[in-house]
Amino acid sequence: MQDTINTLGSVAAPVPKRAGAGLKPKHYQSIIEQLPDIGWFEIHPENYMGRGGPPLHYLERIRADYPLSLHSVGTSLGSHLPVDLDHLKKLKALVDRFEPGLISEHLSWSHGYEWYTHDLIPLFYTEETLSLIVEHIEQVQDFLGREILIENPSSYLQFKQNEIPEQVFYVEAAKRSGAGLLVDINNVFVSCSNHGWSIQEYLSAVPHELVGEIHLAGHSIQDLGDTKLRVDDHGSPVCQEVWQLYRDYINTHGTVPTLIEWDTNIPEFPELYREVCFAEKFLQTTRDRYDEAIV
Amino acid sequence: MKPLSELQQLFCDALRSSDSPPQALLDEIEDDGLRIERFNVYRNNFIVLNGDALADMYPVIKQLVGDEAFRMLATAYVRTFPPMDRALLLYGEAFPDFLKGIPELSGAPYLADVARIEYAWTAAYHAEDATRLDEVQMVNIPAETQGDLRLRPHPSIHFINSSYPVYRIWAVNQGEPMDDVISLDEGGSHIVVIRPQREVEVREVGLGELRFLESLASNETIGSAYAHTLESVPDFDLNRFFAEHLFDGTFCAIEP
Repeated sequence: MQDTINTLGSVAAPVPKRAGAGLKPKHYQSIIEQLPDIGWFEIHPENYMGRGGPPLHYLERIRADYPLSLHSVGTSLGSHLPVDLDHLKKLKALVDRFEPGLISEHLSWSHGYEWYTHDLIPLFYTEETLSLIVEHIEQVQDFLGREILIENPSSYLQFKQNEIPEQVFYVEAAKRSGAGLLVDINNVFVSCSNHGWSIQEYLSAVPHELVGEIHLAGHSIQDLGDTKLRVDDHGSPVCQEVWQLYRDYINTHGTVPTLIEWDTNIPEFPELYREVCFAEKFLQTTRDRYDEAIV
Repeated sequence: MKPLSELQQLFCDALRSSDSPPQALLDEIEDDGLRIERFNVYRNNFIVLNGDALADMYPVIKQLVGDEAFRMLATAYVRTFPPMDRALLLYGEAFPDFLKGIPELSGAPYLADVARIEYAWTAAYHAEDATRLDEVQMVNIPAETQGDLRLRPHPSIHFINSSYPVYRIWAVNQGEPMDDVISLDEGGSHIVVIRPQREVEVREVGLGELRFLESLASNETIGSAYAHTLESVPDFDLNRFFAEHLFDGTFCAIEP
């Protein structure tokens, strides 16, 4: 399927600058029956790495009607261990079969041994890990023959070794590897709040021309006496502060493909759809203002 | 300064452990007086994310032991057998044997076999697809040579052979719990789990059917599988079995 990707990097079904939703098995049937007006869907490719069965079948049906984005959670780009070739092959097979408009992965790591945490652990923001992650991103991109987007993490602790501010590290990793950026505004809000960083400083360090996608999600609050730790659990509606940051961002910079992520306490489809429509409304307002086309 | 590999392994060790995080790791974390609580968010995520995957795979075990006990079992399992694969689809393969080794569960010796049904269900769900053997493929095969051929069961097939009535235990725990009383004296059950098309089927079968399918799955010819089956089940009715299952998706090919 290499021939559907030309040298300019355009793909068979680009992800439009509209609102999309994370695709969940409990919603397969509703989506196939109702074909809701949603710009695109996003999946974790790791959930489709079985040999066969219903998930791949449903994905095929949904892909026939919607553009798709692959949001990987298993590459562990910041691990000291090498990128797993076997995992890349499985990822490439999904890319070839489903022709996603976007592919992304996280600025984090998830394995230190031969086993996997399946959680996204923060990096040590040093020159050493910057070189390492750039090398790993390049490896993934070379293997897939495509640019990927890198997502800023949510985090709850910082390492003393850190010598580079997260936003600088994040942008630098993308610039050096030729990757794009996936800005998770909820993660910016969560991390800045957990570490006392400035949200404005963080977002203004992000060059908009590198931003290919935005994520929005809900988080929970863990009360630790005087301190409130915000935990990025994707288990509730997007909070007001994050909606406001999102509106400000697209008002300033223009529209970007925007995903609503909802991965735990997953609601019935109409509730998720309401959140998507909310984002779409903001995108429409911005489109009208800038007189932009959708794609 | 510690090398990255050592730091990441230190973090992973602490994630997996139930002891308070070691000083060597805490020394690496910025301290606002809450670094242990901050680290514990990761420890909790590790247990909950992987424990939830286990709960998705083993809903009947969870119903049988209760939410609280399941959470404790899942926590211990995640710590002992952390995920070895980047995909969580089939995480929990060793859970049935793990249950067998828990002394507190020795009064419920059937749990491991119920868990085997649940693992087989998920494994069959994600197994490779195959097309159903159909009548046309059989038409030109002379009856007298059929015994030398190999019938391929669908690649999703799994077998469970239990000394306990685990099929009934599994079946009454689908959906809302029921008041059915199941006595362990009801005897054992033989189960085939298979996904002929989209739907996973859990079938309680006779010993003959189990033996015959197991033999075919281990690449024996039809003749040899039949002979093997007759050794333990002399009255196994092959014609009746074929009338019911030859073309219902249980098989996907017939080959020399």
